[in-house]
Amino acid sequence: MYLVGQGAECMRTAIVAVLPRLRRFCAAMAGSAADGDDLMQATVERALLRSGQFEPGTRLDSWMFRIAQNLHIDGARAAKRRGTAVDVEVLHSLAGSDGRELVESRSDLAAAQRALQALPEDQRAVFAMVVIEGRSYRDAAEALDLPIGTVMSRLARARGKIAETLAGRQDAQKEAGR
Amino acid sequence: MTLSREERLAAWLDGELTGDDLTAFQAELAADPELAALAEEWKANDSLIAGAFAPVAEAPIDQAMLERLGLAERLAPLPANDNSPWWKRHALPLGGAIAASLVAILVVAPRSSGDARDPLSRALDETPSLAQADLPDGRKITPMLTAQAADGRWCREFGDGSSIALACRADKGSWIIEAKGKGAAPVDNAEFAVASGADDSALNAAQAHLKLADPVSAEAEQALIAKKWGGHSSK
Repeated sequence: MYLVGQGAECMRTAIVAVLPRLRRFCAAMAGSAADGDDLMQATVERALLRSGQFEPGTRLDSWMFRIAQNLHIDGARAAKRRGTAVDVEVLHSLAGSDGRELVESRSDLAAAQRALQALPEDQRAVFAMVVIEGRSYRDAAEALDLPIGTVMSRLARARGKIAETLAGRQDAQKEAGR
Repeated sequence: MTLSREERLAAWLDGELTGDDLTAFQAELAADPELAALAEEWKANDSLIAGAFAPVAEAPIDQAMLERLGLAERLAPLPANDNSPWWKRHALPLGGAIAASLVAILVVAPRSSGDARDPLSRALDETPSLAQADLPDGRKITPMLTAQAADGRWCREFGDGSSIALACRADKGSWIIEAKGKGAAPVDNAEFAVASGADDSALNAAQAHLKLADPVSAEAEQALIAKKWGGHSSK
């Protein structure tokens, strides 16, 4: 419950307070810590630029999550149009063959990232809001401007897909353990 | 709204089923081993992912990052789980070490009764920082710093136990508690739930929305006390 008053300085102070969570949300959306920090930076720039559009009395972090999601989706689209390899999903599928990646694949964060990156962007945003950030369905629906039924169906589909991805990982670990 | 089995399971995992829906789903879960197994699998996946990302929000945001983000002016870094927010660290004319040791011995934050001249308000009006005031109900409070909010109100942080609180002085001379925190005890909370009001994050949030200036010096505080906080109160 951020009651952010007028004034850029006030907004800056409030943004600093929500940065740790924004950083986590961005890491989940972007697929890696480094890309997440880039996304966070773009999000903060956009938020400062548009601070006038923030409605006092609403949650600043929700508003920023939404900016981050939009920027991420725009960025992914632009990367596809340009045909560059900036798209994190592409990067992810290209990795995975070298030895270092095999070691990393055993870490929980790498597995979590892989599972999230296998989701469509819209499901990933809802999953990150609810499961990683611990927000209610109503919060998530408001922040992402979705009907609550959409939040529910995306969460169910996201979990189904995640189960597929992670089940593969467990099998691989069993193989490796033999 | 008709939900699929998977949607009901997801909503159950997220604590979003209530009342009859909850009862019905629990019965369904008990009667259906396959559903129960899926519930376990999804739950384990959720905690794997949430747990894997928890440290990301605990990592400190360093000064270089704040500068890159254009947020560094007059702000020190705010690590997620750091228990001394910048406005306290920079704070004290009194000295951080002294303040920290005081916080450590303080116990429970008092609640303002909201009464215009309740004993707490009187104590906050009259007690210099680092002095202790005895309240009629036996509590002992120790103001720790005085700073002005952006709206012109004077605010003081004080403690009376392991807890600290931030109160601001309203026009009529009553001190309204804006936030309370747990004091120097470590906050082992991956969520760093500023908005949920947990512990010190509540003070951070209050600090953020009040936008406190740097704490005043002991002399300035003494002058405020002498003038009964006049001339500087709201707007």
